[in-house]
Amino acid sequence: MKYETVIGLEVHVELATKSKIFCSCSAHSYGADPNAHVCPACCGMPGMLPVVNKRVVDYGMKAGLMLNCHINRTTTFDKKSYYYPDLPAAYQTTQWFAPVAVNGLVEIETSKGKKGVRIKQIHMEEDAGKLVHDIREDTTHVDFNRTSVPLIEIVSQPDLSSAEEVEAYLERLKTLLRFAKVAECEMAHGTMRCDVNLSVRPEGSDKLGVRAEMKNMNSIEAIKRAIEYETARHIDAIENGTEVLRQETRRWDDIKGKSYAMRTKETAGDYRYFPDPNVMPVVIDDEWFDSIKASLPELPEVKRARYTDEYGLSDYDAEQLTKSIALCECFEKAYEVCGNAKDVANWIISEAMSILNVRKMTYDMLDVDGKALGELINLVSGGKVSRVNGKKILSAMFDDPHIDPAKYAESNGYVVSNDTGLIEKVVAQVIAGDPKAVSDFKGGKEKALMSLFGRCMKELKGNCDPQVLRTILIDAINAL
Amino acid sequence: MERDMLRKLELLNQLRLTEEQKDDILAFFADREKEMETLEKFDTSATERMVHVMPITTVVREDVVSQPFAREDLQRGAPETDEGYWCVPRVVE
Repeated sequence: MKYETVIGLEVHVELATKSKIFCSCSAHSYGADPNAHVCPACCGMPGMLPVVNKRVVDYGMKAGLMLNCHINRTTTFDKKSYYYPDLPAAYQTTQWFAPVAVNGLVEIETSKGKKGVRIKQIHMEEDAGKLVHDIREDTTHVDFNRTSVPLIEIVSQPDLSSAEEVEAYLERLKTLLRFAKVAECEMAHGTMRCDVNLSVRPEGSDKLGVRAEMKNMNSIEAIKRAIEYETARHIDAIENGTEVLRQETRRWDDIKGKSYAMRTKETAGDYRYFPDPNVMPVVIDDEWFDSIKASLPELPEVKRARYTDEYGLSDYDAEQLTKSIALCECFEKAYEVCGNAKDVANWIISEAMSILNVRKMTYDMLDVDGKALGELINLVSGGKVSRVNGKKILSAMFDDPHIDPAKYAESNGYVVSNDTGLIEKVVAQVIAGDPKAVSDFKGGKEKALMSLFGRCMKELKGNCDPQVLRTILIDAINAL
Repeated sequence: MERDMLRKLELLNQLRLTEEQKDDILAFFADREKEMETLEKFDTSATERMVHVMPITTVVREDVVSQPFAREDLQRGAPETDEGYWCVPRVVE
């Protein structure tokens, strides 16, 4: 018998806000001491009242609109009973009855073509703290730095049917949310986490099989492996009766390549959701809604088409630039200054992206001012700075985004010299020091000229128009 | 509300109810269900959903970070701390 896998995803995304969702503690505690970013509110002290961070609602709305959702203009927070030491209040403040966004659609593309994945809802909620179990044998140590860091949970309908589709869906979510600048979405950093709900049924059946929820996958590759393993486990159980399938939550062990039962899956009733009496409804008026709608970015595929149609870039260049909103913004600003799209694309793709790769930075981490890049390109194309030194200036702009390329070139001796007297002096020194290369060139060896040219350029620290140098060099040799 | 559901809620809420209390609760919910049946006869498809009983909205704050509280002050009442962590009995095997 043929089977089909039915998959729905619950994706948690950490929002890129400065402060937590209900208090003004910092939301960024990487490398901080335990409990260094906490206050009575996020520690669940009795009597403390939450105050909603406006930017969390902004980002919740933005995410909803990027995923083609309907925005609930009155959205409410609820308490989800959750008795575990990583949430000190013994409940999580989340959204259940009126989440910020519902009924969306995300289009994905796989080897089988295009497909729409329905979004059930996006809700805003607080993250839990961190538990450390390996300091002492009898004790769990609790760190509340992460408690109340804002999350959105994106719940899809069970519209996915393979690991390939799941990968395409997650990549699409990442792209859309990064373009909207609401989240980093880096699974390796824990800013995007994914739980997979999976069941298996005979192909063509309209009845869903027994569902397992899988947790603890830390990369898209791990998710794909977990889906393949779990699908095989379900089919084996159905066909061979190797085990009785139960609705449960399972933990994926990527090293062993196996999933293990954690607990019988809770249902909504187990969480005893109820409206949070401490947070009144958030009402999104027209002005607020319109301002968020107006702030949405152009979608990557729309930008891609515009870059080829409007700027005449190749499909490859447009594809590369639209890998990140930071690259796009840098490109567009630089183009405004220098007006040469191909030149800007080359500088970003060949130089800036290489520097990012060498420094192990993501494309979204590009912090070079596009206007300054445009000015740098003007300096190089105008012959005022050599390309070699232009690259050095760009590298310095990565270290300090406030660098003015012209001033930096001036103060570091990178401005191309028009002093032919200096060039002639250097040429004379170089050819006097290597009579063999001179005679080789005179004997027809073109390579010998390149060697002399390179040494002259080095002496001049690259600050010389290559054509001028070449002419002076050949004239000097011929005059011998 | 069935007796099984009530037993589950009793467990979840860590309550211990007498049989008499359970009977009272079940009778209470049976009455409410009858009232709901009456309410369900109304067509509310064109009625805007009510999310709160009062016409009240929350205040929101700007996304600004303030100084954190002194950890020592927050942990003053804790039964046990260790190197800045709160300590609880071990929760995993």
